[in-house]
Amino acid sequence: MEIIAIILLILLVGSMLTFLIDSFSSKLTGITAFLFSLAASVVFFTQIPSGYQFKFQLAGLDLQWGLTDYSYYFAYIIFGMSVLALLYSIKYMEGKGRLGYFYGSFLLTILGMFGVVISQDFVSLFIFWEIMTWASFLLVIYNAYYKVKTKGVKYMIFSAIGAYAMLTAIVFIRVHYDTLLISEAIAKGAFNFEQYIYIPIFLLLGFSIKAAVMPFHVWAPSAYSKSPMSFTTIFSGAMSKMGVFGIGLVFTSIYLGTNPENFYWVRTILGWLGGITAVMGTIYALIQTDAKKLLAYSSVAQLGYIVVGLSTGTKLGIMAALYLTVIHAVFKGALFMVAGAVEKQAGTTDMTKISGLIRRMPWTFLVALVSIIALAGMPPVGGFVGKWLLYEALITESNNYILVVVVFFSSTAAFLYSYRFLYGLFLGQEEKDTKDVKEAPITMLIPMLILMIIAIVSGAVPGLIFEPAAKAMEAIGFQDVTWQMSSLTNLWGDTTNLGLISMLIGAVFVIVFVFITLKGYKNTKDVGTKDISTSGEIPKEWENLSFQQDFFQPFQRAAAPLYSMNMNKIWKNLGENLEAFFGFFRKLYTGNGQTYALYVVIFLVVLLLFKDVIFS
Amino acid sequence: MEGILFKIFGAFITALLAFTVGMLFGGLRRKVIARAQNRVGPPVYQNFLDLLKLQSKTTNIAHGFMGHMAPVWIIIAAMTTLMFIPVLQGDLWFENLTMKGDLIFLLYMMVFGNLGMALGAGQSGNPNSVLGVSRGLSQLVGFEIPYFLAITALMLQFQTTTIAEFLNIQAETGVWIVLQNPFAFIAAVLASLGMFMYAPFNIVGAPAELASGPRAEFGGKYLGTMMTGGAVFAFIKLVLMVDLFLGGAGNNNLEGIAGTAVGLLELLLKTFLFYMIPVFVAIVSPRYRTEQAIRFFWKWPTFFGILAIVWALYKNGTFN
Amino acid sequence: MDNNKNIEQVSKIKTIGIPTQEEIKQAQIDFSPRCTSAGRVNDKETQKMVEYIMNFARKHSLFVLAYGTGCGAIEIPATMTSRYDAERFGMRGAATPRQADVLLITGYLSTKTLKRVIRVYEQMQDPKYVIAFGSCTINGGMYFDSYNTINALDRYLPVDVYIAGCMPRPESVINGIVKLQGLIQNGNAGGGKCYKDNLDWYRENQQKVIKNWDFPDDYNW
Repeated sequence: MEIIAIILLILLVGSMLTFLIDSFSSKLTGITAFLFSLAASVVFFTQIPSGYQFKFQLAGLDLQWGLTDYSYYFAYIIFGMSVLALLYSIKYMEGKGRLGYFYGSFLLTILGMFGVVISQDFVSLFIFWEIMTWASFLLVIYNAYYKVKTKGVKYMIFSAIGAYAMLTAIVFIRVHYDTLLISEAIAKGAFNFEQYIYIPIFLLLGFSIKAAVMPFHVWAPSAYSKSPMSFTTIFSGAMSKMGVFGIGLVFTSIYLGTNPENFYWVRTILGWLGGITAVMGTIYALIQTDAKKLLAYSSVAQLGYIVVGLSTGTKLGIMAALYLTVIHAVFKGALFMVAGAVEKQAGTTDMTKISGLIRRMPWTFLVALVSIIALAGMPPVGGFVGKWLLYEALITESNNYILVVVVFFSSTAAFLYSYRFLYGLFLGQEEKDTKDVKEAPITMLIPMLILMIIAIVSGAVPGLIFEPAAKAMEAIGFQDVTWQMSSLTNLWGDTTNLGLISMLIGAVFVIVFVFITLKGYKNTKDVGTKDISTSGEIPKEWENLSFQQDFFQPFQRAAAPLYSMNMNKIWKNLGENLEAFFGFFRKLYTGNGQTYALYVVIFLVVLLLFKDVIFS
Repeated sequence: MEGILFKIFGAFITALLAFTVGMLFGGLRRKVIARAQNRVGPPVYQNFLDLLKLQSKTTNIAHGFMGHMAPVWIIIAAMTTLMFIPVLQGDLWFENLTMKGDLIFLLYMMVFGNLGMALGAGQSGNPNSVLGVSRGLSQLVGFEIPYFLAITALMLQFQTTTIAEFLNIQAETGVWIVLQNPFAFIAAVLASLGMFMYAPFNIVGAPAELASGPRAEFGGKYLGTMMTGGAVFAFIKLVLMVDLFLGGAGNNNLEGIAGTAVGLLELLLKTFLFYMIPVFVAIVSPRYRTEQAIRFFWKWPTFFGILAIVWALYKNGTFN
Repeated sequence: MDNNKNIEQVSKIKTIGIPTQEEIKQAQIDFSPRCTSAGRVNDKETQKMVEYIMNFARKHSLFVLAYGTGCGAIEIPATMTSRYDAERFGMRGAATPRQADVLLITGYLSTKTLKRVIRVYEQMQDPKYVIAFGSCTINGGMYFDSYNTINALDRYLPVDVYIAGCMPRPESVINGIVKLQGLIQNGNAGGGKCYKDNLDWYRENQQKVIKNWDFPDDYNW
């Protein structure tokens, strides 16, 4: 039996089995799901070589599954994140209901994602895409069993639009090029902008809805923040990357197959969409008071950077996008896990209600700190590498100079919500009601710490990620992709040595830390957060001195014009207008038999009058 | 091995220079402000005394681990940034780790310290500190935009992203970049007003309004170490500006110690003259509210920044 | 002698009319002699040189937290700005007690304010000094018979330097600062240490006048 089929089978059986086990023992469910995903990833990492292919026929269609270096790259993310997320999930989901439903859908989602990356023909791509979407929809509405309409409906509508767009494109490819294999379609030039322009546009539409690019991002914040955190880690970390996977594939084909003049407009438009996504995601993230919502908007913004990177179409830009794909999965996964841990331990992630958890959950704070440094793009942690590549790609290789500033604005404003997240949950006044909060259990901490270590290591030795990324780029048609183990080089030959930076920062850190700790060690007191200089007033236990509401009010005032733009409103207006429009058609159905008879008569009259015109 | 020791020694010398010059300039600033107000003012070495006094405090207070770490972040950012900036051109003592200095890296590293300190201020739980942080970060978004526009313009015009290359270009052509792209200089100067956080952009640490803002809960060794970091940072900002726009220093034909000495004098003169811009603006300015400050940076400085990019594109021949 | 007794005596004086010299003496508050010549801050013989340098720095870098309680606060801007320029002595305003060295208490202290002042003082870091400004802090001044002000600050906080007058002009404020500088250089300005050593005595006095005493148990809280 083929190995890919075995992996799919393991996940499928696991999904069924966890669903059944729930009725016997809900404690075992999580462990079973974890073991099955572990088994699948062990089989994947040990047994499948790159370039593996598997063809078979089904209902007269040639289907083909396989792994190129490009899909391998995404499969890494899928399996890595899934195993960690499921390990985390065991304790996180403990004590909640409907675990069989949750884990069954979870494994099915993994199956769907893996299916998407292994598909080499459009039919299986579409099928797996739908499996992924529907399984994830079940998870999005997990927390809102009786309120599906309000919580999950946006995600479902947009997913459906994306799927229809994709299906349309697939049908057109079949009609115009007589093939269903992706590689053949690319070879025949189905994706270029010369002939049938709507094919790549429909495909990009389908993929960019999953990647939550600008006009279609409205589903993302609520879907990310409403689903259980252990699922959001892979929802935002891995599943939104399926959109990136598709955009990358299509876009590179456009780039390599179209003449540059036509291409300029495509990439400018896509780049600006990405840039605006980044800005809007960022400025809405920094006014949130719920940590989960904040992270969800931030995910939208980060996907914007990835799209900007893809839109350059140059080597450095695509490399930036691929690198950001991994590093975003790592740090955003860790951050969603942190939010989940806080939610589990303290009961809420509303930053106006809790603060000062640093002394209660020090390890969680450590993970949050490192991940936030990565998110903000600070050296020496991995996020900086992605930002560097993106800027250098935009400045040196693309001629989209204003877009650079837009991206820079977004990433500077990202400092604001980065600080907000850390301050809101962990710093600030230690309140009375969070006194009994305990550190997260060890099985929740381990995946977080693993992700944190990856973030740190990738800052010093980004070559570990560049190597598979370079291979992936070669698999989709780039030649001679260069990379170094621990330094970065741009087109103009300017180099930044990351190993040196990490070592220097480490050395200075140790020296200054020892100095500041040992100097006057005995006479240095560690005091609580009620001991602050408040003009001599003594804050009482019940007095709330946390500053949490309207945190960035000055920025909000300064950037007020930006906040007046709201995509949600535009979509809502569109929906209402459509409703009115179709309401007009509904009026034709009067419910009166005589009206219908009149329609029939009118129809016959028209037919008789114009029969020569119609049937000529 | 000897090479490494020499480099470490050179790094030490650089750090010492940055510290001394930064502290001295701080004292000079106070003196200049005093003279402008028709006062005698403190002696120029006043900041050294302040630092010594702060470090000789016998008891200290820290609010938890991040509060304890706050000055550490600042020193890390200051030292790392300093090590990647060419202080004197082509001088072995000031070669440090690399003579290159990638601008994007510096841009991020210079914010690092402030964010670290903001975390420390956050853990103290003082609402004034956090209010200051909120204002400071908002203002940061303001002035970073024109600054980034200016250095992007330079990158585009000269097709390089390292400071060392900018120095070489100025040495070869003999024309300072301030003349080659004046708009970038204007944008950068306006942005640097915000970077120094003197009036009119000093609402972040307003003493009477916010009880000195983010620093409200730091005293003794913590405040002293922060002061050290701040002094080094002032030097870094000045050297960066001088390197980018005013031709750097140390580009002379003299050999050995004489060359270094002349180079240092040149550096001191240029940095001091540049430093007087924010100081003079501060003397005659009241204080902006945060949103006014942000709006200010997003108007004229950004306009000049965009003009600088257009100029750069015109110069490097994109429009032909 | 507690405050209630004071008030009794004061009312007695009032009923009589013009007090005799003896009665005034009786009504005066007994100053605590405990902190007039306190121990040195850095007293090891071997560290003389270090002590000298440190005291020199301390002396020339005084961060002053001006606790403006009443009318006296208006003298401080005049002292700091162009006309009198106290900055030339290294004096500088501090916004919070954490950064401050000198607590400058300007004017009378009501018992309510006293509680805040004590807390501010305790939040300052060693070595720390107190300058009592104006007659009201010495003997109550024109508020000597008020029911809710304290008459002598010395009983509640260790005062290093007094500046007499009502109001003292900026010249005398500068004079007080120079005097404090001399004390610091000689190592005689050890108010902080004295306060720690005699904490019980001070606490007793403080709790006598402050009715709703709600300080936490920890000393440097």
